[in-house]
Amino acid sequence: MRSIDDFSRPLEYLTPLGEQVGEIIREWVEKEVIPYRRDFDEDYLEHRLILPPFRKLLGEYGIQRILFPEDLGGWGLGHSDYLSVAAFRMFEEIARADSGMAVAFGVVFWPLVLICCEPHVNRRLCEEFAPMFTGTREPVFSCMAMTEPQGGSDIENVEILKGSTIRTTAVQDGDEWVINGHKLWPTNTGGVADLMAVVCTTDPGSRDVNDIAIIFVPCHLPGVTQSSAYEKAGMAADKNGDIWFENVRVPLWYRACGPGDDARFYGEVVSLGNMGSIAFMTGVMLNVYEKVREFTSRNTYRGLPLKENDAVAGVLADFAATIEALRILGYQCARMCDRHDLYGPRWSPEVMAKARAHRYFAADRTLEAMGRVMNLMESFGADREWDVEKHWRDVKMVQLWLGGKQLSQMEVARWFYECETL
Amino acid sequence: MPDFQACHPIAGSEGFYEKGYRMNDLGLFPYPRGRLQKADLDLAAELQSLVDKEIVEKRLELKEDYERLLKPAFVRLMVEMGLQKMFWPEDLGGEGHNEPGVAFTVMAALEQIACADVGLAFLAAHSFALQAALAGNGNLKREACERFAPLFCADGAPVIVSFLLPVFTEEESGATWRGKGLQVTARAAPAGWKLHGKCVRPTCSGADADLFGAWCAVEGEGQQAFILVPGDARGLARGPEFRKTGLAASRNADIDLAGVELAAAHCVFREEQEYRRLLSWYYLGLAACGVGALLASYRILKEWGDNRVIKATGNIFKENPLTGALMGEIAKEIAVDRLLAYDLAEMLAEPDTYGDAGCEGVFTAALIVVHHVLSSADYAIHRIMELMASAGYAKEWQLERYWRDVKTVQCYLGAYELAKHDFARWFYGARTL
Repeated sequence: MRSIDDFSRPLEYLTPLGEQVGEIIREWVEKEVIPYRRDFDEDYLEHRLILPPFRKLLGEYGIQRILFPEDLGGWGLGHSDYLSVAAFRMFEEIARADSGMAVAFGVVFWPLVLICCEPHVNRRLCEEFAPMFTGTREPVFSCMAMTEPQGGSDIENVEILKGSTIRTTAVQDGDEWVINGHKLWPTNTGGVADLMAVVCTTDPGSRDVNDIAIIFVPCHLPGVTQSSAYEKAGMAADKNGDIWFENVRVPLWYRACGPGDDARFYGEVVSLGNMGSIAFMTGVMLNVYEKVREFTSRNTYRGLPLKENDAVAGVLADFAATIEALRILGYQCARMCDRHDLYGPRWSPEVMAKARAHRYFAADRTLEAMGRVMNLMESFGADREWDVEKHWRDVKMVQLWLGGKQLSQMEVARWFYECETL
Repeated sequence: MPDFQACHPIAGSEGFYEKGYRMNDLGLFPYPRGRLQKADLDLAAELQSLVDKEIVEKRLELKEDYERLLKPAFVRLMVEMGLQKMFWPEDLGGEGHNEPGVAFTVMAALEQIACADVGLAFLAAHSFALQAALAGNGNLKREACERFAPLFCADGAPVIVSFLLPVFTEEESGATWRGKGLQVTARAAPAGWKLHGKCVRPTCSGADADLFGAWCAVEGEGQQAFILVPGDARGLARGPEFRKTGLAASRNADIDLAGVELAAAHCVFREEQEYRRLLSWYYLGLAACGVGALLASYRILKEWGDNRVIKATGNIFKENPLTGALMGEIAKEIAVDRLLAYDLAEMLAEPDTYGDAGCEGVFTAALIVVHHVLSSADYAIHRIMELMASAGYAKEWQLERYWRDVKTVQCYLGAYELAKHDFARWFYGARTL
């Protein structure tokens, strides 16, 4: 019988590590996540069901150490040229079960990319934070604190705004940064994260990118306050909340890459976030394929399995075609993020714009295709027992984060058409 | 409830929406001003006031709480406002507002309710459809009215109506209606009917419904019958409430019918035209649900567009050419959908002009309109969510509830791909689809 493994991937891009970990994750989701996921919505505050599988994956299997250098107890993926392709496979496998978990998982590594990956490894910070992730069998979570109340996702728009709207401040006081401000929405907040990277300005209102600072802040420090998790339409495993920083003090060397480079490599966070988002969507689509295949094989219309009706088959074909196209697109995006020698650095405006284009295109197609198959299943499409509606709710959020569609459109237009005033 | 017996069409400029009730938003979207009666507008005003007080003001605290928010609101709407009495003959305790023109009343009432809660409007749509099918002037079924009107017209208790309609089934050989399996079989018994059905999926409220209307396969006949099954009938067992995307007011559960015995009078019609008439009115109700959701979503977007500033350009959100254009497109969808839904009300209100609500042409038009409106509502609310980014899916902003509700109504309406076969049957004379 055909399965999700029959959908195409660019085989020449795959790597042994990514595939091996992918297989481990598939087994993990089958045993530890899929049987419990229908109750995740009600678990959004406590994570009583969500934390135990993470404990196994991140802590016991040790995947949380994957980016750190091998001599620091990691697996050295940060030094590889296949980080993104391997990540794509992992994200896709987790998202097949629960894209909220995939996001929470991905964000463990998101800020660490800034200090663990070539060509901007910050050895001192790796040494500082590696033990937090490698010396325990408990799960350790990170978060990337970007969005602010007054500007929404505008602060991600470094190319245009150059950090001028950032209100979270980092003021040097001796050999420490003193951080004050308020962030909204980071994944793995609501009390989950142990370590965060905070996008700050060292000179409020400045349009000098040297004043954009990304500073690591351990969450237990005095002055860090987190709200409880927001209630959302879905994605219960991805806790989001407010974070307030009130005279939070960290050493000066907790700054990720330094003046100019923090802003430059911040682009990498954006590119990888977009690449990961495509993996979340294809993972979801693969599981919906499984569910819809089961539904249309079991249920009948005019005495035949539903899938044997030509009109229904047309919708199913479109769904499969969408998976085919998006999966190849997603792996290509990951490859682009990996191979600086071929495509330019992943923090470049070009790769950022292309990754954004890939993501919003993928999101539009995913939601269109999912909406159609959900409708095809009639009342069962809205029934949690079939899991499709959960994926539909979750994947809408993947479309809307990272500034949403319009910001993406502007960035794509700016790059491809060399617009100057957008 | 307003006095519908003394009503007449009024000039549009004096209508409800122009009187300042929602002058600055909902009145913007066109509706057939000459066709709504004063009583319709008064009812809409009363409903708006009621749902604002009973639902909207309590929403942030009570969210989608069935027992504390939705159930009491349903009682206020159906019992205290008298919506469940609307069509039934006056001598049986009803309001007797059963002329075909009541379609406008239904539309205006349901869009107001849906503005506050789509699920409550969805439940009310079931009640109106049944009332129209049994008590509508021109096809009033006196015996059925005498039997069932007291249930709706006795003061105190709300009656939740649900339907057991054809669905996809795992059986390849069972009786079907237009390709889908009839979920309930009825056998003629000495005293009336005996009904069977396993894991029957209701259109709403399987956990709570007081009356199920089942389109049954009659054993040995190859024909159908529409039979009303009281929720407390012996042999009817309700499964556990299942979780679903939206419509919290409809606590649904699959039910079993194990030899449910009913008197002959519980079969209220047998003809397919009667069944289509019920569906045409049902589709009007669901279209109104979509329009109400759109009007409420518009209000949320309006507030967003008025107050957010895009930092990169310094524009107020609605003044940015890209976001402003998309907001314009959303307004276009709302305007067209509302006109379409009221056009359907016009068709149902004028059987002499368009044909009976149960004729194939009107039924097909109703199916087209409801699919179009719900699909368009789904599209528009998706776009609004995209404009609002994370606020679009945060429960605090309320929008995501309309998104979930509309999608759920759309799913319960049925597969669009197969509805297209109905369209093709009517417009192209396709015979085997």
